[in-house]
Amino acid sequence: MSILVVGLNHKSAPVEVREKLAFNPNSINTALSLFSQKYQDQNAEIVILSTCNRVELYISSQDGAIKVEDVFSFLADFHKVELTAFSSYMYHYKDDHAVNHLFFVTSSLDSMVLGESQILSQVKEAYTMAAMEEATGKILNQLFQQALNAAKIVHTRTSIGKRKVSISSVAVEFAEKIFQDFAGKIVLVVGAGEMCELLLKHLYEEGARTFIVANRTYERAEALANEYHGQAIKYELLGEYLEKADIVITSTSAPHYVIHADQVKEAIKHRRGNPMFLIDIAVPRDVEPEVANIDNVYLYNIDDLQSVVSQNIDERNREVEKCRVLIEEEVERFMARLEEMKIEPAITHLRNHFHTIGKEELDRLKPKLKNLDNGDWEQVIYTMERTINKLLHHPAKVAKQEAKNGGGYRYVETIKKLFGIFHHTDHSQHKEKTE
Amino acid sequence: MIQLPHIPFIITIILYFTSSLWSIGYIIKPSVFDKKVAKWTMMMGFFVHSGFIVFLGLESGNIPITNVYESFVSLLWCILFVYINLDYLYKLLSLDTFLLPVVTALSIWALTFDGGNLLITVSLQNFWLIAHIIPIFVGYAAFTISFSLSIMYLTQQRQLKHKLFGSLFNKLPSLEGIDKLMWKTISFGFPLLTIGLVFGAFWVKTQNVLGEMWYLDYKVILGLATWLIYAALLHMRLIASFHGTKIACLTIVGFCLVLFTFIGTFFMGSKHAFQRVSEQTHTEVLNVQ
Repeated sequence: MSILVVGLNHKSAPVEVREKLAFNPNSINTALSLFSQKYQDQNAEIVILSTCNRVELYISSQDGAIKVEDVFSFLADFHKVELTAFSSYMYHYKDDHAVNHLFFVTSSLDSMVLGESQILSQVKEAYTMAAMEEATGKILNQLFQQALNAAKIVHTRTSIGKRKVSISSVAVEFAEKIFQDFAGKIVLVVGAGEMCELLLKHLYEEGARTFIVANRTYERAEALANEYHGQAIKYELLGEYLEKADIVITSTSAPHYVIHADQVKEAIKHRRGNPMFLIDIAVPRDVEPEVANIDNVYLYNIDDLQSVVSQNIDERNREVEKCRVLIEEEVERFMARLEEMKIEPAITHLRNHFHTIGKEELDRLKPKLKNLDNGDWEQVIYTMERTINKLLHHPAKVAKQEAKNGGGYRYVETIKKLFGIFHHTDHSQHKEKTE
Repeated sequence: MIQLPHIPFIITIILYFTSSLWSIGYIIKPSVFDKKVAKWTMMMGFFVHSGFIVFLGLESGNIPITNVYESFVSLLWCILFVYINLDYLYKLLSLDTFLLPVVTALSIWALTFDGGNLLITVSLQNFWLIAHIIPIFVGYAAFTISFSLSIMYLTQQRQLKHKLFGSLFNKLPSLEGIDKLMWKTISFGFPLLTIGLVFGAFWVKTQNVLGEMWYLDYKVILGLATWLIYAALLHMRLIASFHGTKIACLTIVGFCLVLFTFIGTFFMGSKHAFQRVSEQTHTEVLNVQ
């Protein structure tokens, strides 16, 4: 049993290459069943993870029968692409390195935005699709469940995904430190640029429902307001609406200040101490800096937000080492489990072998004990089974435990040799037989 | 010299102090200081505190306000009692970090009033007195919590203004949330203070405890001032719907006045039904009651 990952990501390959190998949900299903059929004899299991930043194939096969080259040619055939067009951009890892890579990816340590949570659901989806197609088996089921679990551990025990790393999410986070909730709060948007829209969307998602949009071009204000069931106002009326606004977002391209300290001072008088949060994401700035000195007014410009974003990114980077340690532990745990899994069929066989012998002996004994009634005979069967189970309990336990330390294969061999057991799916035994 | 009967209160103080330490530590280094330790030491402290109150009550056969020390201990118990209930109702994020140090400091101060130095001179078996004391104590407890909330508000407000985004910033609730709670605690405490003062006036008139010139007693005057300040606060909030920094600052002033009315007036010579007596006469006076 061997695990292999072959793939490319945003670091190893440009988008032109990635898009050639990308799968859509339909093609994933086709690819999964094609691959499973093709490598049925090798006990192949496969999961395909295809996102905008990566395409990766996780494969498990008997004794590593499926090689990297096989996967390359499968990809080339499937996507009808020249092998040379992508092979140099691909990476591949085997066994514990492959497990480590998957845990890294799932925990979002390999993502473009470190610590983002989207990848976790993408991995979950990729795995579910493969499981539905019956392309996974004992190994990959175990592997992916452990990967999702490892990601959860990493996210709860470290702060890798805790701090916000985009301007709009940081701005909303600050707004949440001023206002308990956004329901009933009035958001005044000055300018109708892309950044404004992003912030608006974020606030909408967090519960804000009342939007007023002002823009030099009234039509653009109207378009944006309509999208969020807001109200568009004439740019000249900005001052009048200022006192109503709890949150003000400005991002005009005006070369001068659009909101002045005097205006805010006047507005805040009418707000009776209710706080006002101004987010100025324009360059050059739209809000006069003196506004920040007014009581109960909180002014943040693009640099304030950007510096928090950078700090948060640094914070996430600092957490990577902690995550790495946690992942190593999880990889070790999985590899031990894998070794244990290797020995399980041998133990089952050993058990079956003993029970068969026991049954044969009982069959031989039965005609000799004609006087026994059914109840007594059942007692004899019960004692035999109990003896066998008791005899096997300790060796099975020790073998499993020892296997966890990496010697699983050796134990399988020993068991087979000692008891003369053959397993029809066991590759090495096949070889031995044919030799 | 610390007397043996006060040992439970000293244990209480140690537990409150540990709780304060852990609740502050949790902000600075959550990996080392577990929030649960802060909570459980506070609860254990409150448990011992409650036991001590019962002990004091049983010892004197009265509600434990027979001297300033006992009154102080009882008031502190009220603060914790109100806080625990409010915390259960509103899940007050990180308020313990602001309240427990205040409680600990006040507890240590209370210890300096140890003994029967200032002894109550009137019968405690009086309805008006009970009706005067209990609402005022619970009201004061609410004001202490609103004081802690206003410190919390000003801290968070300062962090937002000066863009200080440390771990305290992340752990404190929104300004609006703190403001609402501040308002709730004040509006809970104010009617109680009012009732307490009205009953106090009845008590004074019916028992003639403060003499003819009762209205010149410092504690009476400052009590009225406290009432006025909170009335002004409520007016600002209710009629003028005022929020924010000004309310927080006024709440702090209000609390300082509460503290001064409660303790400070004794330093100014106000007796307010208490009398400076020696240790020996303490029990005698109680026996007479």
